[in-house]
Amino acid sequence: MSDFALKRPLMNRRYTLEVRQQMAWPWQALILGVSMLLGLLLSGAILVLAGVPAGELLNEFVILTLFDAQSLKSVLFQASPLIMVGLAGCLAFRARFWNLGLEGQMIFGAVGATAVTIWDIGSPGMRLPLMMVVAMVCGLLWAVTPVLLKLKLQVNEIVSTLMLNYIAINVLLHLMYGPWKDPKDAFPYSPKYDSFELLPELGNGLSLSIPIAIVIALIVLWFVNISRAGLYLRFVDKSPKVAGAVGVPVAKTILIAVLFSGALAGLAGLMVAAGQEGRLTHSFYVGYGFSGILIAFLARNNPIAATCAALLIATLFVSGRSLQVFYQIPFAMVQLIQAVLVICVASSDFFIRHRIRRVQGVD
Amino acid sequence: MDLITSWMGNIPEFAVPFALAALGLIITEKSGVLALGAEGLMLVGAVIGVGAALTFDNTAVALAIAMIAASIVSLLFALMVLVMRINQVISGLVLVFFCQGLTTLTGTLMGWTNQPVSGLGSIALWPLSELPYVGRFFIQNIVVYLVPLVFVFSVWALNRTTHGLRLRAVGENPQAADAAGISVLGYRLAAIVIGAALIGLAGAFIAVLSNKLWISNMTAGRGWIAVALVIFARWSPWKALAGALLFGCIEALIPQLAASGIKLPQYFVFMAPYAITLGVMVWVAVSKRDISSQPGALGAPFIREERT
Repeated sequence: MSDFALKRPLMNRRYTLEVRQQMAWPWQALILGVSMLLGLLLSGAILVLAGVPAGELLNEFVILTLFDAQSLKSVLFQASPLIMVGLAGCLAFRARFWNLGLEGQMIFGAVGATAVTIWDIGSPGMRLPLMMVVAMVCGLLWAVTPVLLKLKLQVNEIVSTLMLNYIAINVLLHLMYGPWKDPKDAFPYSPKYDSFELLPELGNGLSLSIPIAIVIALIVLWFVNISRAGLYLRFVDKSPKVAGAVGVPVAKTILIAVLFSGALAGLAGLMVAAGQEGRLTHSFYVGYGFSGILIAFLARNNPIAATCAALLIATLFVSGRSLQVFYQIPFAMVQLIQAVLVICVASSDFFIRHRIRRVQGVD
Repeated sequence: MDLITSWMGNIPEFAVPFALAALGLIITEKSGVLALGAEGLMLVGAVIGVGAALTFDNTAVALAIAMIAASIVSLLFALMVLVMRINQVISGLVLVFFCQGLTTLTGTLMGWTNQPVSGLGSIALWPLSELPYVGRFFIQNIVVYLVPLVFVFSVWALNRTTHGLRLRAVGENPQAADAAGISVLGYRLAAIVIGAALIGLAGAFIAVLSNKLWISNMTAGRGWIAVALVIFARWSPWKALAGALLFGCIEALIPQLAASGIKLPQYFVFMAPYAITLGVMVWVAVSKRDISSQPGALGAPFIREERT
């Protein structure tokens, strides 16, 4: 390999690029850390360009958000739906299925849960558990079409899941401006949920959605690391062809992983609707689909890492909202910063996998 | 009668962005680079086009600047897929997210949102413009008339020139092309930048010439529909043009239906293009036509050092 590189050096005939076999993990961590830092610095530069006073940045982002008990609570609160979509991304990507339909699945999860509240199904005591089940089932059902199209007809799931997102958004808008609009409200929102339909607060002011998110993260961890399906999933992730050849039920494994992914996205929809908004709104889903994909990518599809990445993105969400209030900076800034972070982290992989070496004796 | 006349008049306006974006995608993908970033590059073309039109008050200059801006942003994508060798699907998605954030931010901070621009006047292609029913189809702005010429030139360049041959060789078998002394990364870079210019023009067309203003995320998934269109057209520019016309007919019908007084739930009408795109994808998959027309190395990064 390196012989070849020596004979035909890349670029200006003085340096060559080599593939590294292995890099010691402290170096890997260092490179990853430096690239994250670079991403944050770039984001800071963008914020300063957008008109945030440079001196306020540290204050706004780090100190106010992480060292203030109230903000820390809202970060944890914000993190729970992000953990759900992040885990949903991990599961689908482990099956080599680009589930970009997290938003659509989230919308249908929340629509299903809201249908339960509007039609008053079940006794008040059973209402919330029923809403959760319905949200998961609806999210799962919205994921059935693209995964079956992919497995049976090899329809590109990137396009199909995205198209289904746009369809779901229009269904949501139809409901919000039409049959489900709260007549008492000027905005396109559904009627407010009753108190027993909301995710309750625990004694210390934390929402029930946080323990739920942790339990689900543990279940996903069990699923991918211990369960039989998780073992099959690792085969499929490495090579679907080899997996099929050694007798792994490839199609079934992909189906289970993607439907699980859809169910988690549906639950994320419920967490936003019944946890944060207290009703269905026309734009509750904005930003979550992308964030789920980026969290899964940052975490390299590892459920524990995804939970940590979701906390980071939640900090961004919370600071993004305060930037919106104090500096009139659009929430799209959060999306831009996430993209910058992902580009930096993804680039770090290049330096982990390659080494640039000076070549001597070649003119 | 009026319905058909005005429908015909609106078709090119809706078809041109699809056609230009699909052509840009085809050029990029013929070089073996999977280009999913069209939605983002269209937004860049749209916001910069409107911004330049507001600043310079000259539509031609605005369109040119929009094309250049999209090309510059596509260099980021080129850096990711060609230099850093990041997965092409992730790179394309991140590019879309990046551009969605960037364009919303730019549009808001610069105060370009909802500011009307003048656009271009229409030119009637005389005797065709006098035809009954379809006459309005031939009263369009100059850019619409240039689109067929751009297609003819692109097809000629791809199929009849040495550079086009090399570009296709790089997309079919980069190892062989490399051994023949063709710069794989060079051709891929050129394909990304040229494709991005056309995609940027598609976005600028929507904002500057069609809607005559900028609203954040105004392309509303048209970039993704263009991606589907390229798969549907099996990487053939002429089939992509036909597909763009088909989608133009569908999209142009939506405002007509609203104006005609037929009572349909409007959001179900709005979802039609997406549902039809999905339907077309399924139809293509069921009919299982020649899969071989896909560029051989599409989506595979070329890494000389990892050659086996």
